[in-house]
Amino acid sequence: MDAMRTTYLEEANDLLSNLERALLALETNANDKSYIEEVFRVMHTLKGNSSMFGLPVIAEFVHDLETIYDKIRLGEMQLSKELLDCTFSCLDHLKIIIHDSDLSNPVNKNNHETLIHQITNFINQKGLSTGKQEQANSEHTLKTYHIYFEPHASIFNNGTNPLFLISELAAMGVSKMIPHFKVPEENQEFASESCFTYWDIYLETEKNDKDLMDVFVFVEDSSKIEITELGSLDLVNNKEFDAFINRGIYKHVKTDLEEIKAFAGKLQELSSGKTETAETVKTTELKSVKKEKVEKTISSIRVSSDKLDELMNLVSELVTTQAGLSLFAANNKITELEVITENVEKLSRRLRDIAFGMTLVPINNMFGRFQRMVRDVSGVLGKEIEFLTEGGETELDKTIIETLTDPLMHILRNSLDHGIERAEEREAKGKSRSGKVVLKAFYSGVFVYIQIVDDGKGIDVDAVRSKAISKGIIKSTDFLSEKEIFDLIFYPGFSTAQKVTDVSGRGVGMDVVKRNITDLKGTILVESKIDEGTTLTIKLPLTLSIIDGLLVVIDHVNYIIPLSVITKCYAVNNKDMMGSFNNLLILDEEQVPFIHLRDEFGYSSMPNAQSQMIVVNNGERKVGISVDTIIGEYQAVVKPLGKYYTKQDFVSGASILGDGTIALVLDTNKLIELFIKKIQTEEKSWQLN
Amino acid sequence: MKKNILIIDDSESIREVIATGLESAGYTVIKGINGEDGLKCLAANPSLELIITDLNMPVMDGISFLKEVRKSEKHKYLPVIILTTESQEAKKQEARNAGATGWIIKPFSKEKLINVIKKVVR
Repeated sequence: MDAMRTTYLEEANDLLSNLERALLALETNANDKSYIEEVFRVMHTLKGNSSMFGLPVIAEFVHDLETIYDKIRLGEMQLSKELLDCTFSCLDHLKIIIHDSDLSNPVNKNNHETLIHQITNFINQKGLSTGKQEQANSEHTLKTYHIYFEPHASIFNNGTNPLFLISELAAMGVSKMIPHFKVPEENQEFASESCFTYWDIYLETEKNDKDLMDVFVFVEDSSKIEITELGSLDLVNNKEFDAFINRGIYKHVKTDLEEIKAFAGKLQELSSGKTETAETVKTTELKSVKKEKVEKTISSIRVSSDKLDELMNLVSELVTTQAGLSLFAANNKITELEVITENVEKLSRRLRDIAFGMTLVPINNMFGRFQRMVRDVSGVLGKEIEFLTEGGETELDKTIIETLTDPLMHILRNSLDHGIERAEEREAKGKSRSGKVVLKAFYSGVFVYIQIVDDGKGIDVDAVRSKAISKGIIKSTDFLSEKEIFDLIFYPGFSTAQKVTDVSGRGVGMDVVKRNITDLKGTILVESKIDEGTTLTIKLPLTLSIIDGLLVVIDHVNYIIPLSVITKCYAVNNKDMMGSFNNLLILDEEQVPFIHLRDEFGYSSMPNAQSQMIVVNNGERKVGISVDTIIGEYQAVVKPLGKYYTKQDFVSGASILGDGTIALVLDTNKLIELFIKKIQTEEKSWQLN
Repeated sequence: MKKNILIIDDSESIREVIATGLESAGYTVIKGINGEDGLKCLAANPSLELIITDLNMPVMDGISFLKEVRKSEKHKYLPVIILTTESQEAKKQEARNAGATGWIIKPFSKEKLINVIKKVVR
């Protein structure tokens, strides 16, 4: 729980500083819409997070702010200097109250109410002068009142429920309610429809006695109500006072108010001397707590990602240089040099692993937070949801995980809110009552896949289409494939939700999701079937800029195949390969389809009688890839291809070898995909002919 | 669960203003045009939680309506809020004696209306 709280705070701090930046930018470029969007988005995320972590005070506060910026965004309201000032003070206030989310500090509470007043004024566009508001609020100080409330016996006959009045009082501050009961005299018939209860109420509130009297406005004529101010001391939580008033509780007599007043006065006198010492004790306590915290946090430090990036860069340069050194040593046969080279190689490998370890975190860290969110959100929505995670051990770059959390959170929320149906609805469709959402992470080749699979109602293609038309995103005459229609949900401002809810809605989110993932050089794919569910697949490149690969050669060109995808290598006769039916080979008594790369790459001649068949994993199946020769294992520093080669999709990067030549890193999954596509088109054209 | 509120007023505009305000605050509104109509509405909607009624109405006025409501076994304790004006202090007292739960003085804002409603229904 504490770890989650820390995460929340970390995130909230980040969000708030983003908000600050956006607001500052907005102040200088008031007409720039993108900053308003940014402000709105940050608020939206903060609201979502806060409600997820059970902090309604913050969530509601931000919700109000968000409403204002929503109006500005939609052009219903104008941005003014006053509003920006107010937003900045709200921002400062938020920075404080994320640490005091139940406003236990009265100063915070006071500020909070002042700001809420200002915000509401902006929303109502009444533009009440804010200065006056503050003054009115600053007059409010905490006072303890004694309220005696004896409803008329016939109070029920007017349809009044005295308990509503009691709870209205309770909502005004900290209170202690002591109910008393009039005991009907013996032999007297029990009048079941009369009120026998009366109350002694101790209330600590910042409201004044007029506000208190207002509560009883409908019953003041018929009931006995006495309100007495007992002083500014917090008596409700005072143990001595508590003990004092408790003496009389069960006596069923009207409490002697004069006695109580005198006692309260005595306590106040006593405490005014005490408070000072208490205060100083508190501050020293606070200080020691702070110190402890500092000592604890030193075990982990935050490093700027720039520094980490630089470290990674240097390590990859080192690995490249080391490869050159190894080659030089091997060619020159100097014994001493070979020993040194070996050591350098070992060290650089360890250095590489450690440098990577710094940035890699198992995705599990993120899953835990989702579990909590699903639990809470399903409670709010009143849906039965089973949430499963797979592949939590999959490791990803820390920065990727951080960027990914928000988008995933959003997708999940959408799945829960719009995807999964209510239990009754599901039953009617013949599905299990509880919906299932699976979050999967797995490696495939040099990519990490993250899938969110739900078995909900799926995406209604027609609804999305007509919505897009009504929003003017597409024309009614446009013809779009199903995939293109699904992609529309990532369009800015697109949302099929009917209502703005706490959980999702407002049409921010999916576009941000898409942008975040594109920023990570990933792709997102939506597949959905009505009443069967929706699957969102996020594909991210492993940012591992150094991979363990297998260096192979095809026609004097070097290629690297990531070791992680390779299962086994075989030597095969070219004759067998050429003569095979349907590109199938029997390897270890198993039929393995293969790709004859030499052939595919357009080299005709066969230099050797034998080729090497490298069997790689492609999802569930195994596929062979033939190459001329295998050189060996190689630590490859993967550099991106230049911008001229962006269309080249089966090569994911290139690496400089020790001797300065270049090796291309193959993306085997893409390669296989392309090959299958090619075969299919060939088959089609063959059928057509 | 939305709360059902019955509004009785002979002026259509007042009915509509109140109804719009309440509906936007999440209540369900049933409208009656006078006391007699109100009693019919009451009989037809057993799940009512609150009545808001005007006093001066043709056919059956608010006070007589209120008395009828309090007479019925079923609605004896149903909260009833009356609509009055500043000048109707005496009427207010009369309504209280007839069993009105509370009152709201015309003209009023939506916020005030909701505050009053929250005092008598939860």
